[in-house]
Amino acid sequence: MPGKFYSIPITAAALLTQAAQVWACAVCLGDASDSAIDGYNASVLFLMSTPYLVVGSVVAGLIFTYRRARKRHEETDAEMIGQLEWNQEESSR
Amino acid sequence: MAKNSTALKLEDLASATPAKRAAFGGGPPPPPPVRPIAPIGSNAWLAMIMFLGAEAMFFAGLMGAFLVFRVGSPVWPPPFQPRLPATVTGVNTLILLLSAVTMRLAFLANRRGERKRLVKLLSWTAMLGAVFLLIQGFEWVRLLHFGLTVSSSVYGGLFYTLIGFHGAHVLGALAWLIAVWSKARQGKYMGRNAVGLQTCSMYWIFVVALWPVLYGLVYLY
Repeated sequence: MPGKFYSIPITAAALLTQAAQVWACAVCLGDASDSAIDGYNASVLFLMSTPYLVVGSVVAGLIFTYRRARKRHEETDAEMIGQLEWNQEESSR
Repeated sequence: MAKNSTALKLEDLASATPAKRAAFGGGPPPPPPVRPIAPIGSNAWLAMIMFLGAEAMFFAGLMGAFLVFRVGSPVWPPPFQPRLPATVTGVNTLILLLSAVTMRLAFLANRRGERKRLVKLLSWTAMLGAVFLLIQGFEWVRLLHFGLTVSSSVYGGLFYTLIGFHGAHVLGALAWLIAVWSKARQGKYMGRNAVGLQTCSMYWIFVVALWPVLYGLVYLY
């Protein structure tokens, strides 16, 4: 494969001679004082925090629902025991 | 005892399995009967939670794109672009939030078995959602007349993409709600056997809860 063979020295030569262009960042829009940088930074911070927020909300919702269901289950059990205690026919047997 | 008796001997019990011990009449007493714990939600409920998580990430991506241009622009809105109708949309926000309240009340009414109240509250929810969409559509037509189009600027493109996707979600939720309303009228949802109503309610409340965030970001920020 001659294409593959030549690609390695060409890449190496580009890295050595045109380093600035080769390593250029795709989102480097200007100097540090450029307002576009602030926009990117704000967006990156927002998108970084969103998965934590979403997954945290889902997990918190599941824990809340589980605890509520467990509490209801225990309350139903207590009601059943209460009914047994109230049963006069059973207790007089 | 005869030599070839089939009865179990006491010395055989030590190595016997618990089942054999029980058969002999010994072993520990059987555990008290335990009432099986019902699952905390249906499969559809869990799937809807996952779907809403994905939807939240989708809108987060759009909001991230908006933030790039909004924070990065020294002047916003860009010159020669119309201002967004924040007051009318604020009233519209209240209408949509009210629809979430009626939806929740409808869900609770179904739990109590109040079918008539369920149908009534669902129709109120659908009506409020339709009013929200109508006002949004009316404002969009006005903005188009003022020259704010998808291709007029990044401002217009972002506005119509973000608000448009939300509007499409409300429209989809409204169609679903009308289907649920129709089924509720036929008495298909009885007590806790209401997976369709539950998932529709979750989706509706999601699109309603999303709107104040979008309103604050696009109209007020």
